[in-house]
Order: sequence, then structure tokens, then C-alpha cells
Amino acid sequence: FSYFAFNNAEAAELQRLIAVEQQKAQFQAQVHNFTDVCWDKCMDKPSSKLDSRTETCLVSCLERFIDTTLTITNRFTQMVQKGAH
Amino acid sequence: MDNQGVTTDPQLQQFIEIESQKQRFQQLVHQMTEVCWEKCMDKPGPKLDSRTEVCFVNCVERFIDTSQFILNRLEQTQRSRGTFSETMTD
Repeated sequence: FSYFAFNNAEAAELQRLIAVEQQKAQFQAQVHNFTDVCWDKCMDKPSSKLDSRTETCLVSCLERFIDTTLTITNRFTQMVQKGAH
Repeated sequence: MDNQGVTTDPQLQQFIEIESQKQRFQQLVHQMTEVCWEKCMDKPGPKLDSRTEVCFVNCVERFIDTSQFILNRLEQTQRSRGTFSETMTD
């Protein structure tokens, strides 16, 4: 098996596999980021189980973080569009 | 040694796999130590009392629970709202 003589079909398949792995990695990175952010916001002193108040906070945290990202994205887009010469 | 020697030596492969595993484990330990130190350690005293120890145990377990909870929630969101990944992956 030679590493440097892919035919088109093999190259396309490899690209597809790489894209899938990249997507998986990106998703995992998001999960880790959200876990860090929302752990800080929602977890007081860790207890013997995940109570419903904490779970509610985690859900809110996820949703508000996404809202915030969208709001800031839109704002910046507006600023760029207005300021573009 | 020919070019294929590095990637097909099973002993070397296993060695690399074990070292990678050790590295991942150490990384996890460091991360959890940092996270749970923040949550559980008030003013450090002359010894690690049992209340703090219990907190550490809870901390690790709840962190895993939280991680899993968020994973499930995101998967749920992705299934119902397909555009989620478009807004978050730039």
C-alpha cells in the first residue's frame, strides 16, 4: 500500500472520512467548552447527585449561551456592514 | 530500517498506545484537580478533612454527570434543530 498514489475514489473517500472526524472533534470540543462554562455558572458545592435545580440551570446555560453567541454575531455583522468602505 | 518499520512494529505501536493512555489519564487528573479544588477547597487548613474529601468525590462524579447531561442535551438540540451546528461552528 503506497501512501502517495491515491486514485480519485480513494482520495474522495479519505476526504470524507477526515471531514466526519473533524465534525466529531468539533462537536466534542463544544461539549467540553459548554461543560466548563456551565459548570462554573451552575454548580455550587457538588453534592451526591445532580439535582433538578442544577439541571434546569444547565439547560438555561446552554440556551442563553447560544442566544448570546447569536446576538453578538448579529451585532458584529451589523457593525461591519455599516462600517465597510 | 525501511519506511514501513515504524508504523508496522506492533511492540512500538503498543508502547505508543500505552504512553498516550497514560498522558490522557494524567491530563484528566490535572483537569479534575483544578476544577474540584476551585469548588471544594475553602481556606486550606492543616489537613484534608473528610468534608472536603467527600466534596472531591461528589465533584468528580457530578462533573461526569454534567458532561453527560450536556452531551445528551446538545444531541437532542441537534436532532430537532438542524441549524444548531451552523451557528456554532464558525
